[in-house]
Amino acid sequence: MSRLVVSNLSIDRAELPVVTSVDLVAKSGAISVVLGANGAGKTTLLEGLSGIIPVAAGSIAIDGRELQKARPGARSREGLAHVEQGRTVFRQLTTEENLHVSLHPGADIAEAYALFPELVQRRTVKASLLSGGEQQMLVIARALLTRPKVLLIDEMSAGLAPVIVTRLMTAVRKLANDGLAVVLVEQFAALALSIGNRAYVMRRGRVVYDGDCAKLRQSQDELHRLYLGGAETSVPA
Amino acid sequence: MNALLTSAVAGLTAGGTYALLGVCAVFTYRLVAVVNFTGAAIGTAGTFVLIALFEAGFPIWPSVLAGIAAGTATGVAIGYIMTRWFGEASASTKAAVTVALLVGLIAVGLRLTGGQHPHNMPDLFPGSAFRLAGVEVTIASVLTIGLAVLFTILSNLFLNRTKVGLNLRALADRPMAAELLGVRVQLLSLLVWGMTGAFTTFALMIIAPQRSPNFMTLSLLVVPALAAALIGVFRSFWWTLAGGIALGIVEGLASSIDSVSQYRSAIPFLVVLAVLLWSQREARWDEAR
Repeated sequence: MSRLVVSNLSIDRAELPVVTSVDLVAKSGAISVVLGANGAGKTTLLEGLSGIIPVAAGSIAIDGRELQKARPGARSREGLAHVEQGRTVFRQLTTEENLHVSLHPGADIAEAYALFPELVQRRTVKASLLSGGEQQMLVIARALLTRPKVLLIDEMSAGLAPVIVTRLMTAVRKLANDGLAVVLVEQFAALALSIGNRAYVMRRGRVVYDGDCAKLRQSQDELHRLYLGGAETSVPA
Repeated sequence: MNALLTSAVAGLTAGGTYALLGVCAVFTYRLVAVVNFTGAAIGTAGTFVLIALFEAGFPIWPSVLAGIAAGTATGVAIGYIMTRWFGEASASTKAAVTVALLVGLIAVGLRLTGGQHPHNMPDLFPGSAFRLAGVEVTIASVLTIGLAVLFTILSNLFLNRTKVGLNLRALADRPMAAELLGVRVQLLSLLVWGMTGAFTTFALMIIAPQRSPNFMTLSLLVVPALAAALIGVFRSFWWTLAGGIALGIVEGLASSIDSVSQYRSAIPFLVVLAVLLWSQREARWDEAR
């Protein structure tokens, strides 16, 4: 059972605190959904977890191994995969070449095509020529081939048609069911809560809700209050 | 006519060197996204290690190997600075940093090698390889062009047929995305800097006897090298190769015409200017559409 444990994490950008004292847990087989308005600190949180930006304080551990001082590549080799926002395909490489870059010795490209059969007929096409949905499938499949224990996904629905978003959400749920620990940052709150297990709502860099997705999904009013402020925080002591 | 042909053939050695330095510049730009102004200075550092050892009485070929090792190490050191502190900087910032490093390398190099003090540079490959239309083609010419062609072929094969090459292409496109997938970005970047350091050092060792072997003159061979790279639009190895050889031939021809021979060192600048103006013209056309 893999487990990502984030304790008391603070991250600064340009010497300003953007994420403050965040605790978060992602367990194998579960999806932890991170919600919040624009500027809440969700992307910064993921970038701090994967090592794109340094953390100011706190700890990040996978199965007890602390990673907060490791470089992004070392964190990846420890099992932390980060699907960045903006569909960061290698534009000049074909679909299959993109997959080969991340191919772990114990992984097989067929796994990527099994998850997203749509990519099979696009295997020799340059990634820059893929549709937005195909590019998002490619970056998720690419991350999968690193053999991660924990998968961080940032805003995978941005700019995509609802039917594609639903398709991607289903695939992410399947990855969790297969044993991955997933941390999903998402703007489409209702859809994310429908596939998630545990929800975190962030406001101004702090977690103001930590609880069941199902419970939050049933209370739209509370979700709005958490996004917009004015609510008591619902973080367990 | 024969005089012109002789001059053109005489320019082949320089052309081969420009081509190899240019291909190395494209290699560095495509893979670690740096327009590297220190390319020739790195090779010069290695060449002067050869000169120092040769003048101290060491046998020539072990000194050549020591020089190539020194050039490789200098390349790796510059690469470390670029990846460690400027890995995420913009292309223009990286280029500016290499200009600053070039100035520093020239200053230190001139100080250590005695400025304009003449040195005894061994001619590694003296003599003629064959005659072409009655003109002697030197071994140095054949070797520099051969080395440039070999580096071009190897670069293409390496990038398109190997896993390391694939990772380098990914790294060139999106360094952070590559690192997030576990690609050993720093190690690969240093590999690129080391490889280009070794090849440029060997090229400069071949051409140094035909040039004034002082640190600044050799380091500034980066100008025709970047002119050749511009002809290949910093993308095509083969166009850069052809551009470098053509530059050498044009320089050779210019040296045989009295009225223009004193301006022949300006030819690379004119080429850079022409290519840049041409690219701007295309940009305006795009804008007009």
